[in-house]
Amino acid sequence: MPQLDTSTWLTMILSMFLVLFIIFQMKISKHNFYYNPELTSMGMPKQNTPWETKWTKIYLPLSLPL
Amino acid sequence: MNENLFASFITPMILGLPLVTLIVLFPSLLSPTSNRLINNRLISLQQWMLQLVSKQMMSIHNAKGQTWTLMLMSLILFIGSTNLLGLLPHSFTPTTQLSMNLGMAIPLWAGAVITGFRNKTKASLAHFLPQGTPTPLIPMLVITETISLFIQPMALAVRLTANITAGHLLIHLIGGATLALMSISTTTAFITFIVLILLTILEFAVAMIQAYVFTLLVSLYLHDNT
Repeated sequence: MPQLDTSTWLTMILSMFLVLFIIFQMKISKHNFYYNPELTSMGMPKQNTPWETKWTKIYLPLSLPL
Repeated sequence: MNENLFASFITPMILGLPLVTLIVLFPSLLSPTSNRLINNRLISLQQWMLQLVSKQMMSIHNAKGQTWTLMLMSLILFIGSTNLLGLLPHSFTPTTQLSMNLGMAIPLWAGAVITGFRNKTKASLAHFLPQGTPTPLIPMLVITETISLFIQPMALAVRLTANITAGHLLIHLIGGATLALMSISTTTAFITFIVLILLTILEFAVAMIQAYVFTLLVSLYLHDNT
């Protein structure tokens, strides 16, 4: 059985070490693990500036002097 | 015929230079790595599959055992890809080599056992005596458990080698029989061809299952010892 020919065993084991322990692990260590999208907390609600507390007709687009 | 049958298991060398290293390196070319935020389809698919497998296999371990995730995931990826590529005609399958499988099994098993010895000495020694054994049986049982512990890496290596080698040999033999039967009787050759197709499907399954079993057993030895 050619698998029992020990002359090639060192080559075989060394190439396996290289691939398994170094190459594959370097590849997999570069994988990104994404976080699931989460809601961010809203924090402080937006304070209205004084001119926004009352709706006045100057906000109507048709009345703007443009 | 014996000479021809085992010819595909000889380690490939060209003029004394190890071609086998390139063959063992080849499956790593099939899983590209990329540093982008959004990867292409191939890389995304492979990453997704690997993360699925890692969630399935590493969820039973505690924090200490989960440090082995990288090792076990690269193990299952390596064995799975090597076995599947070996199903192509005229290819060389590195996992048929007993040397490589011993080189994988013995360090991993020894790592798990030594971790157990160093960190939880009493618990790992307690594995040698199952609970509730009657007192006269204790010496014999300790011997049996010791033998069963030391046979674990051998069984891991020989199981993988024998399964893959046997599958490849069967495919060779039945393929050869189909070819020889074609000139004698087409019907029998047809039946043999159906057997060949079923066998190939089995071999695809075996390729992946063996990778899984190897990694699962190492993971179990780890679980016992962390």
